[in-house]
Amino acid sequence: MKEDLKKIKDLKKKWQEKIVDPRLKRYKLAQSPTTFYTPSDLEDFDFTEKVGFPGQYPFTAGNDPVPGWQAMAESQAIASNRFEWGGASSGGAGKYAGFGTPEDYRDYLLRMHKLGRKGGPNFAMDLPTQCGYDSDDDRAMGEVGRVGVAVDTLKDFEVIYEAYTGDIDIDKIASNFTANGAASIIIAMYAALAEKRGIPLEKLRGTPQNDILKEYVGRGTYIFPARPSLRLFRDLLVFSANRLPKMNITSIGGYHMREAGVSREQDLAFSMAIGTEYLKTGVEAGVDIDLFAPKFTFNAFGGSMEFYKEIAFQRAARRMWANILKNRFGAKNPRSMMIRQIMTAHIGCSSTTLQRPLNNLTRAVVGGMAGGMSGGIPFGAMPPWDEPLGLGHSLEAQQLGHDATRILMYEAKLGEVLDPWAGSFFMETLTNEIEKSALEELKKIDEMGGALAAIEKGYMQHAASQGAYKRQKMIENHEQFVVGVNCFAGPTEIDVRTERSVEAVYDLNLTATAEKRKKEGLAKLKAERDNILVEDSLNKLGAAAKNEQENLMPFLIDCVKTYATLQEMCDAMRKEFGTAEPTTI
Amino acid sequence: MENKEQKKAPLRVLLGKPGLDGHDKGAKIIASLLRDAGIEVIYTGLRQSIEQIIAAAIQEDVDIIALSILSGVHLELSRKLLYELNSVTKADLIPVIIGGVIPKQDIKSLKQIGVAEVFPVGSSFDDIIKIFKSYEQKKV
Repeated sequence: MKEDLKKIKDLKKKWQEKIVDPRLKRYKLAQSPTTFYTPSDLEDFDFTEKVGFPGQYPFTAGNDPVPGWQAMAESQAIASNRFEWGGASSGGAGKYAGFGTPEDYRDYLLRMHKLGRKGGPNFAMDLPTQCGYDSDDDRAMGEVGRVGVAVDTLKDFEVIYEAYTGDIDIDKIASNFTANGAASIIIAMYAALAEKRGIPLEKLRGTPQNDILKEYVGRGTYIFPARPSLRLFRDLLVFSANRLPKMNITSIGGYHMREAGVSREQDLAFSMAIGTEYLKTGVEAGVDIDLFAPKFTFNAFGGSMEFYKEIAFQRAARRMWANILKNRFGAKNPRSMMIRQIMTAHIGCSSTTLQRPLNNLTRAVVGGMAGGMSGGIPFGAMPPWDEPLGLGHSLEAQQLGHDATRILMYEAKLGEVLDPWAGSFFMETLTNEIEKSALEELKKIDEMGGALAAIEKGYMQHAASQGAYKRQKMIENHEQFVVGVNCFAGPTEIDVRTERSVEAVYDLNLTATAEKRKKEGLAKLKAERDNILVEDSLNKLGAAAKNEQENLMPFLIDCVKTYATLQEMCDAMRKEFGTAEPTTI
Repeated sequence: MENKEQKKAPLRVLLGKPGLDGHDKGAKIIASLLRDAGIEVIYTGLRQSIEQIIAAAIQEDVDIIALSILSGVHLELSRKLLYELNSVTKADLIPVIIGGVIPKQDIKSLKQIGVAEVFPVGSSFDDIIKIFKSYEQKKV
């Protein structure tokens, strides 16, 4: 074997000199724009240790030897019912959406149900809600119901969930909440709603995003400084481990950090570091790792158009996470070691362009192919092609996106082979390289004291600003090409447009009046509720916040039940925790 | 020419991120870009109120106020900013430049409100620098 490798190495050297170098000379290139891999690039490779089998440690080859979407592919096609992979009728939550007042969002959900999309709500919340302010606060001006639905009190949940009763009551659906800073309050509202409906908490399913640490690096909807935020994370984790066995605890997202500017390797390392910080938090709170780690999910890592690298990234990520869980935390349950995520490789929303936007469909298909080759569904619907055209994906764009997934599944048959690149000299080398760089970065963060310390020092935030500027400069300087943006954008190119019907989801008349309507509703509620009860519960919350050992979840649930507002609860905690200071550069 | 350039103090820009939107990649890129072009940038960080931005602009004695807005509230915030800026600075109005996710049809409205320049998604570094530099020329 060793002899063979040496022979190949020699032959490659000769090939380089005799065949490649003259070509490079002809093209006047100092460096080759191509690479060719041979077995000699992958010396000492232990397949069992590095790849293994799908569904087994270290999960490089994927989590599942027979993924549900592939198992059900044929029956789904024959039935041809509307079926959106990863959501809606597959038992999960529906499409990420939300706008206006709770009434507006409820009516939207009811309309979706009529279209056969009966998945649980997948909440987009407006910025005031995400940042811990009520609709009637000055800081909320202009933002109420704008990028998501406005949620101030339990009353709002009661209204929204009027869309979910009977055979789609909340013990039968899953709810997703894109809440981070406010995650514990939102879950408290969900728990209180279940209690009011007489549904045992044990039956609730769903996922709060609850990945607060990445908010300081990208996305920015933090409420408190990072350290007390991690305490709230702990409290929700412990409460969830004990009381909400079917609810996930977090949905970790490297995606937002990469979109904010960090590199592929940093995305991987930061996500692992943040995940590790959360795991540590649970272990230090005395919860058995195998009790809570299986309730960690991943929202998504960042994506890009670089097909090969994104496939390698996913393989490396699964291996790293499994390794951390097994060796660092001593997990025994294989489920603890898996990166559970709705899709694997994909493109980033920042890969899409406003110029000739239909090209974004082609881009998403490339991402879908990478997804299908990296242990996931070939998800061609992320994002719909009209992503850069403004809030609200059109029904047409969503249709084409879901059709892309179907074409990749049924016609291109991408799901037939598991981890098709397993053992490839090239892909294994690339996977090793990405893992190695990420491990080096992870070590750096460990030496700083972990993700929390790295964020408190501004390290990750700085990496994002630097990276974003660097990437943009590369595009401006033609070191990186984006079709229709910095190349092939001349007057002879033709813009191609198509019909777009943005469903009344984002009805401008409704969003325009949402703030006024929401404020009126809130004023009425504040006048009608028992304000002595409210104040009492808020005082207790404030007192509990002072004691670091206290779990705040029961206190939050008590507040929620009195119809205390989100901001009132946040303010009670702000008194103890302080407010997050924005990072400047 | 050289001498004239040297006499001029560098252009000072207050870069603000009003509202609750946390997507500040664009703002940070612009801060780096302008600084590399020799312009002084004071970046406020996230979630600044219009009042805070105006106060900072006056305190820092800036030549331009630049705002990055991605959450769709550009019309409301610009109206508020221009109105309050007008009442504070009177005739000596500081020019306001807006960048971000700005639909084409809103550019005209923004200019009517009194916004000096608008840089929607897709604006090139060169164009941005050119405009900012033109203010440097105007600076006495």
